[in-house]
Amino acid sequence: MADAPADHELLHPALWRAHQLGGNRAAVSTSGFPALDAELPGGGWPHRVLTELLLPHPGLGEMRLLAPALAHVAGSGVEGGRSVMLFDPPAGLSGWALAQLGVATEQLLVIYGRDGPRGAPGLRRLLAGADLLWALEQSLKSGHVGAVLAWLPLRLRADTLRRLQLAAQSHDGPVFLFREIDARLKPSAAPLRLSLACAGIDRLALRVLKRRGPPLTQPLVLALVPVLTERTRVRAERQTAPVSLPRDLLAHDAH
Amino acid sequence: MLWIAVHLPALSLESFAATLAADVQTRPLALIDAHRITQSNARAAALGIKPGMKRATALALAADLLLGAADAARDALALQSVAHAALAFTPSVCIDATAGVPVVLLEVQPSLRFFGGFTKLLQRLQAALRPLGHRWQLASAPTALGAALLARWRVDLARGAHSSNCAALCRLLDEAPVWLLGPGREHWEALQGMGLTRLADLHHLPRAGLARRFGTELLADLDRARGDAPDPREPIEPPARFEQRIELFARADTAEQLLVGARVLLARLLAWAAARQGRVAQFTLVAHAEARQRGGTLEPGRLDIALAEPSADLAHLQSLLAERLARWQLPEPTLDLGLVCDVLVHAPAPNAELFPSHRAEREGLTRLIERLQARLGQHGVQQLVRVADHRPERAMAWLPVRATAPQLQRHQAPITGRESATLTRPLWLLGEPQPLAERASRPCLDGSPLQLLAGPERIESGWWDGALAARDYFIASTADGALVWVYRARLPLQAADGGGWFLQGRFA
Repeated sequence: MADAPADHELLHPALWRAHQLGGNRAAVSTSGFPALDAELPGGGWPHRVLTELLLPHPGLGEMRLLAPALAHVAGSGVEGGRSVMLFDPPAGLSGWALAQLGVATEQLLVIYGRDGPRGAPGLRRLLAGADLLWALEQSLKSGHVGAVLAWLPLRLRADTLRRLQLAAQSHDGPVFLFREIDARLKPSAAPLRLSLACAGIDRLALRVLKRRGPPLTQPLVLALVPVLTERTRVRAERQTAPVSLPRDLLAHDAH
Repeated sequence: MLWIAVHLPALSLESFAATLAADVQTRPLALIDAHRITQSNARAAALGIKPGMKRATALALAADLLLGAADAARDALALQSVAHAALAFTPSVCIDATAGVPVVLLEVQPSLRFFGGFTKLLQRLQAALRPLGHRWQLASAPTALGAALLARWRVDLARGAHSSNCAALCRLLDEAPVWLLGPGREHWEALQGMGLTRLADLHHLPRAGLARRFGTELLADLDRARGDAPDPREPIEPPARFEQRIELFARADTAEQLLVGARVLLARLLAWAAARQGRVAQFTLVAHAEARQRGGTLEPGRLDIALAEPSADLAHLQSLLAERLARWQLPEPTLDLGLVCDVLVHAPAPNAELFPSHRAEREGLTRLIERLQARLGQHGVQQLVRVADHRPERAMAWLPVRATAPQLQRHQAPITGRESATLTRPLWLLGEPQPLAERASRPCLDGSPLQLLAGPERIESGWWDGALAARDYFIASTADGALVWVYRARLPLQAADGGGWFLQGRFA
């Protein structure tokens, strides 16, 4: 057998060995968390592919996790940044909180699929799931959006995800899909899948379910932008029992 | 002077066929006027159907012949749009339909330098004519009538006959048949009997005798064509408002069936916009109710389409219209479609750019938003605006994205207190605060008690606008460590049952 080239990734950016982290040629956005960047192929949130985030319920700190990347995409002024589109977020957004996280609110475009308490006023008709997915696909295909965050409907079909993955190839920016935690048992076309869980106050536990590279055995615990001051947090942690990581986060499940 | 003549040999047939569905267009078609065929398409001509034939004869030759009535008003509208397309290149455009053959004439000598020469101008003219869907024959000559004659005569030349000076034009015209001239057609049999078939034969005859025999009209036309007599023409002006109606061939019951007709109107709209040197900012599609029902008080269905960014791009407008039509509920079946536009933007069009730039992306984004709004509705795509108000439910406003960025900036409240290292407001805000049960004087979310970690932060505001809020806010943690923002209403009337606890938001 002839000598194999030392670096497979020199042959083609899509090639990588199973024990390496792959895809280091593709464009990425830094996540703002060095510990997370080290575990992501290419060193950040990948562009042109789907990134799936699975979480049991909204409000874990998922937006604080993405905020540094979004702030980078949206830039500081109206002229500087690119737009960030949100599809069907689970509740109303607070522009003041976004501003505190450093995300330029001017660059935000929101498409609400739901009415009333969960969505924004003025939208009387509920958007059908098909309309929402159509809008998502069009936005990804257009390639003029900086970052896309989408809260997908439950029980999504696998071919829908494959369609989105194809559309995402012309989108030069990260795409985050938020899905219910149960979706981890189903196969998905997204090359990067993470599951999120709370790991205490202002802490987020992250597990890489799928990536271009070796599996990650230990969940990653990240310190988020704090809500509580240091003193309050210490006092609160003393009062409560230490939060143990949810069992399903630690268990190894096949996917 | 240099005139370009655009001769439209099949204008009536094409303006009739434009609203037909694609599968019908492949059938043999013919137009009839007073029971006689006036024009037929290639399929019909192959079956032997010729102009002048009787209706019954034509139907005997082709049983599946589709007959349409010739309509001079419809032809005039189509011709007007061709003239509008030509107006983008020169202000002096006129329509010559004297010989019963539609010809549009453009005087282009002053425009040659601007458009980079005759060949370039000709290419751009043809590109502008293409969306209108007509066949055309071009010719150019130093005189208007000469150009019109050449365009009507030399239909066999692909590029058309072109002559740049009078001598060359006269040489070309010498060979032309006499029936090309309007009066020549009337006297065709007499002229033929005298052996006069070419214009050269007429030109060499004594003028006085010719005038006595055939009238002065024939000579005057000949002189104008050869450039021996002046030929002043009145240029047309585009109307200040675009309003056109076309009749559909088949009754449209759903909005999607209007698409073919709407495309024709859209192409004409853009020709008009090009003539007025503007870009379309909004237009209205009007579906008139069927004629037999019009006696009542039926209102025509109207579909308003407003563009965020004025556009003169046919493909973009077509895709927008298709999205809107797919969603539109047509109130009544319609046979008659109209398009109205009175808002044109005359600002210079933005430059096209070679490399992807920030502005190109903004433009692409605007188009994307328009597409999304065409399907999801104006409120489908929204923008977040900060409002300076302490009450969380009033601190945010949602605006449909229509306003361009600078306008939005004006509404946006300035950011204060950004320097704090902690996040003081939750990212997810519930539109309606969710009442929480109270157990052992602690609020419960989803059945498990919350632990209050920080607070209270008192917000008391709004006595002046009737939405008084008097609340104590706490940051609380759920069993798994997620943080939520809850409040306790301080007024007894707001604290109806439970302890007056409400969930306001979640720290995401």
